[in-house]
Amino acid sequence: MSKKFLSTVAVTLLTLGLVVTGCGTQPSAPTAPSTTPSASGGAIKIGLPLPMTGSEATYGKDMENSIKMAVDEINAKGGVNGKNIVTVTGDDACDPQQATAAANKLVSEGVVAIVGGYCSGATIPTLTIYNEKNLPFVITAANSSKIAAQNPGNTFEINGTAVHQTQKAIELFKKLGAKNVAIVEQGDAYSADLAKQTEDSWKAAGNTVVSHDVTNKGEQDFSSLVTSLKSKNADLVFWTAYYADGALLIKQLRQGGYKGAIVVGDGSSDLKLIEMAGAAGEGTYVLSPPVAEYLPTAKQFADAYKVKYNQSPGAYAPLAYDGMKLMADALQRAGSTDGKTIIKALSDTKDFIGLAGKVNFAADKTLKESNFIVLQIKDGKFVLLP
Amino acid sequence: MLQGLDCNYPRTWMNCSGERVHKMAVFSIVIQQIVNGLILGSFYSLIALGYSMVYGIIKLLNFAHGDIYMVGAFVGYGALGILGSKLGVGWLGIAVALLISMFLVGLLGMLIHRVAYQPLINKRAPRMSLLITAVGVSFTLFNGVMVLTNGEYKTFNTSLGYEGISIGLINITYTQIIMVVATAILMLALYWFINRTLYGKAMRAIALDQDACRLMGINVTKTIGLTFFVGSALAAAAGVMAGVYYGSIQFYMGFVIGLKAFTAAVIGGIGSIPGAMLGGLVLGLLETAGTQLPFIGSAWKDVFSFGILILLLVFKPTGILGKSEIERM
Repeated sequence: MSKKFLSTVAVTLLTLGLVVTGCGTQPSAPTAPSTTPSASGGAIKIGLPLPMTGSEATYGKDMENSIKMAVDEINAKGGVNGKNIVTVTGDDACDPQQATAAANKLVSEGVVAIVGGYCSGATIPTLTIYNEKNLPFVITAANSSKIAAQNPGNTFEINGTAVHQTQKAIELFKKLGAKNVAIVEQGDAYSADLAKQTEDSWKAAGNTVVSHDVTNKGEQDFSSLVTSLKSKNADLVFWTAYYADGALLIKQLRQGGYKGAIVVGDGSSDLKLIEMAGAAGEGTYVLSPPVAEYLPTAKQFADAYKVKYNQSPGAYAPLAYDGMKLMADALQRAGSTDGKTIIKALSDTKDFIGLAGKVNFAADKTLKESNFIVLQIKDGKFVLLP
Repeated sequence: MLQGLDCNYPRTWMNCSGERVHKMAVFSIVIQQIVNGLILGSFYSLIALGYSMVYGIIKLLNFAHGDIYMVGAFVGYGALGILGSKLGVGWLGIAVALLISMFLVGLLGMLIHRVAYQPLINKRAPRMSLLITAVGVSFTLFNGVMVLTNGEYKTFNTSLGYEGISIGLINITYTQIIMVVATAILMLALYWFINRTLYGKAMRAIALDQDACRLMGINVTKTIGLTFFVGSALAAAAGVMAGVYYGSIQFYMGFVIGLKAFTAAVIGGIGSIPGAMLGGLVLGLLETAGTQLPFIGSAWKDVFSFGILILLLVFKPTGILGKSEIERM
């Protein structure tokens, strides 16, 4: 509670700072640079479009923290091509209009590259603004499938999309030796999309989907569905919607004597799932984005983060950190701050190792390999499935 | 880890070992689904009773009834939380929590009647105004609980296990049996109360003719309040039982089930007590059947069950047990 309060205070102060500088005569430096450049003319400016106010401010602050950690590490090692990196944060407030204004401001600040992007809705309209100036953009959190579809060519996504989650799900089904997969969704855009993609890919691989069921949100009784799934000899049930109803389904599956595997999508990747499913939840497989807590590679990062900011890194912290490191890597390889050259360098990224795993880009500039992880509920805790 | 059956018969109701098993399996599935339908239906019945009683006595569709069910679940949750340390979270604790919730929520029902409905009845307000007031009460309860619980899910911690009887493919847990028995007891008690007590007689009389009752010296307002008490207490019982049975509760749990229970009351013949009981069971069985229908997915189960209901109402507009010249309750 007090942490939350503190961070709220921090965000408020930051916003106040923003307003004050914004109203002043200098339109530059919306926030203080994270490090003092050794030579002010020789620094590389990188823009961070993030929600610093509004409902998503906690996530924005968290991502900014991680990015600044990465920047400090880079600068401590001598920066990029002999120059220090400085960051400029633009508050998009998770709002398309504010995001456009923030993007224009970042451009006028003279940034050479962009790292960030949390809300898909606020990020999409800014893509072309950056592209007109040939600014490379590494998106570290927003993952709507519309981003790849509307990518003008400068944008790279390092967060997994529904495609990547499907990929991981299929991989897991195979590993578990599933034969008769049953898919259950809730009819909303998110869960229906994941369910459909998974069904298509599983069938395309020559396997059987014994049933594809849709339940109503808020409906508590799954007993008839459970009987139906058992009668179809399902040996793996995949739930693609959210944790609350998912926990009820898991409970009733076990109560009804179902003995096969249960897999749930990232909408159910929440500690509440364990609490609500209780003993029935044991053994359930959970697909999850790469969260620092469960990544052995991110342990050092998580510890350093806790020391520096006095709180645990949030869900999108590791990817934000990776995004900045990747951008620095591309700048180094490009050897210049020319936008087109950096974009080319980003496209040529080969096996960049981040906290969340390997980064290679597919033709549409999303991840080539899925960075989703599989957790399993064991003794009332999530554990990473190797 | 996996109990994968090594067979490739993805078609419904086919098993690895062929035809004989096939028939056995179909039989088991049908029985299991009937059990599932009866349990689901008994929840609908309990809530439908409240709809039907209130409609029978003041011709009001009390749309807040689903939310009263939800409040019942939360009161039961709170009571169990307080009592749990003393009485345990087994059947004794649950039974006491159930009674407490029934009593408190019954009082809440009376309060709602006094504050929100009776003033309008006194002024002989049009029925539409009462209906809108009911919608207002529904939103008040819904949003009130949402704010009080921060919109969070609450988990019922009980010590009930999954033990039960299993015959072949049929699984019935003791919890399920007790739920159905408890529902049956509540309904029998209600039936006795309505038909064998003086208060029940007063309710039935008011349903027939309020003015005549006033002339006969029956306290109409109090009796209507009592009807709200009984209806709300039954909904609260259903709420606590649902919380115990499904394991978690949330502020919007009353919405879907409220609509379905209302439907059950209408198919049974709204205003009729046995009709509400029967309507709930019919709806439960229809929905369950819809899940298992071959060729169409479970996404169509509501279309299936409600399609049948439309047909039923087309041929019998007053519902299964409703009469055109209704003697209500």
